[in-house]
Amino acid sequence: MPRIPGGLTVMRSVERAPGFATALLTPLGLLYCVCLLAPISYFLAVSFLRYSPDQLYTSTFTLDNYTRLLFDLYNQNVVLSTFRIAATVTLITLVLGYALAYFLSRASPAWRALLMFLVIAPLMTGVIVRTYGWIVLLGGDGLINQLLLALGLVSRPLQLLNSEATVIVALTHLMLPFMTFPIFSTLVTQDPLLVPAASTLGARSLRAFFEVTVPLSRSGIVMGSVLVFTLSAGSVVTPALLGGRTVMMMGQMIYQLVLSTFNWPLASAFAAVLVFCQFLVVFAYLRRARNVAQP
Amino acid sequence: MSLSPDAACASMAGSQTERVREPVLELSAAGRHGFMLLIVGLYVFLLAPLLVVIFASFSPDQRNVYSLSQASLHWYREFAASENFRSAFVFSIWLATVASVCATVIGFVTAYGVVRFLDRRREMGKAIAMLPMMVPHILISLSLLLVLTRFPVPELAALVVGHVLICLPFALAGIVASLEGIPHDLEAAASTLGASRLRVLTEVTLPLVAPGVLSALIFSFIISFGDVDIALFLSGPGRTTLPIEIFSFIQWESSPVIAAITTVQIFLIVAFGLAVERLVGLRAAMRI
Repeated sequence: MPRIPGGLTVMRSVERAPGFATALLTPLGLLYCVCLLAPISYFLAVSFLRYSPDQLYTSTFTLDNYTRLLFDLYNQNVVLSTFRIAATVTLITLVLGYALAYFLSRASPAWRALLMFLVIAPLMTGVIVRTYGWIVLLGGDGLINQLLLALGLVSRPLQLLNSEATVIVALTHLMLPFMTFPIFSTLVTQDPLLVPAASTLGARSLRAFFEVTVPLSRSGIVMGSVLVFTLSAGSVVTPALLGGRTVMMMGQMIYQLVLSTFNWPLASAFAAVLVFCQFLVVFAYLRRARNVAQP
Repeated sequence: MSLSPDAACASMAGSQTERVREPVLELSAAGRHGFMLLIVGLYVFLLAPLLVVIFASFSPDQRNVYSLSQASLHWYREFAASENFRSAFVFSIWLATVASVCATVIGFVTAYGVVRFLDRRREMGKAIAMLPMMVPHILISLSLLLVLTRFPVPELAALVVGHVLICLPFALAGIVASLEGIPHDLEAAASTLGASRLRVLTEVTLPLVAPGVLSALIFSFIISFGDVDIALFLSGPGRTTLPIEIFSFIQWESSPVIAAITTVQIFLIVAFGLAVERLVGLRAAMRI
């Protein structure tokens, strides 16, 4: 430790006080172990147990739940449509979010705070409020249908709710900020002289954009895509309210298995597959991020 | 229209401020207008579902009528008269208060430990603290529900724990950021002058990070108040949160009373959001 002339010892930036440090870190450690890791491990372990209609599970080991999930046509369809919807939402938000992030990164500082608040404020009102907003907007007597009727474009209200497209639109709305801000962070730190420099070297404007600006924002693109993909793959309430009978995603499936058929083992297998796929995506992201850091 | 080399050189000769403001992607006039149209469209897309709810809440009858001359507070009275929605609203506020206070206290204690006492393992400590953000929230609530059905745990406790868990990463990350922002010399000075560790913490550190702690508290409240994934499985008679009450109602029917309730919620949350924006900036608080 550095000593100052008076003979006093100056505290270092990191103190040596094992007892105090342990006391500070114990509450969170205990909470996570007892209330997060243990219950999740227990729940995921149930996926290897046999289902029984009159108790939660029987303690016989089986892989049945996974074979039912992977080879049953209906369940296969649920898994595939989950990832199809999540991937579509990710692609759409990527294009729209990039445009919005680009606009925000070039907006004048005086307006930027307000413009960003308007993007982030809807995010905080919660999933239910925003999903309900889409019901009001697209319902039989919703604003869109009233406008179409008033303009004489249609003679009866259109059926706009209860389709996969509705779910995709609403999820895009929910996820757009999660894509916009990571990209914004990488755009706003870019040297604004890079593109003029590329132009000086003869690159045309769009080429400079796609060969200089976009590759430099890659970490934001990857981060935003991972966030949007994992969040939309795990959604329950939005597809349940806007998809009607036509859409079934894994989150809804888990909800129904647990609350109406009490099939915990199969629900657990669905959850395990969902988490496994999400971790695959995050893992791919981390590898990618490392490659970007060390080309 | 591409930027010609001459134009680029000319613009580079400009002053520093001009250079920074320079539009980086040079588009033709049509392209620029198209881009601005897209941006305006995106803002309409983002805000329309909320604005439409606010308008529908003033509608005079069952249909969603959007006219200012017929505006009525009928559905707000309906909300106030509805026992279910009122008690769900009160319960949500109670739950969000308890969960955000717990999350902020645990978050502060942990953040202080991580920033001050973990040396080389600090990044690992931060990553572990973010754990609840990395698993889907329905997995957390299902696991807690399973525990409830197997062990004699009070049901309310599971709901509170679930909410504390989802608020913690946000609270913690916010407080870690503000602790890292204050110079450590001040604490060192107080300690050199003979203040006990506890006194340093309460009289030097806490006042310095107060804005960060307060915004963590408000932000945790917002997260808890808007949550559906945790409450979806852990709600029950007498402990139904407002979003779940709305969810179960609109699964079967639609009524502008929901618009009135969600309008109240929108204004509440936006007011809290403005407070966080003032304190530390919303984007920093959201971790995106």
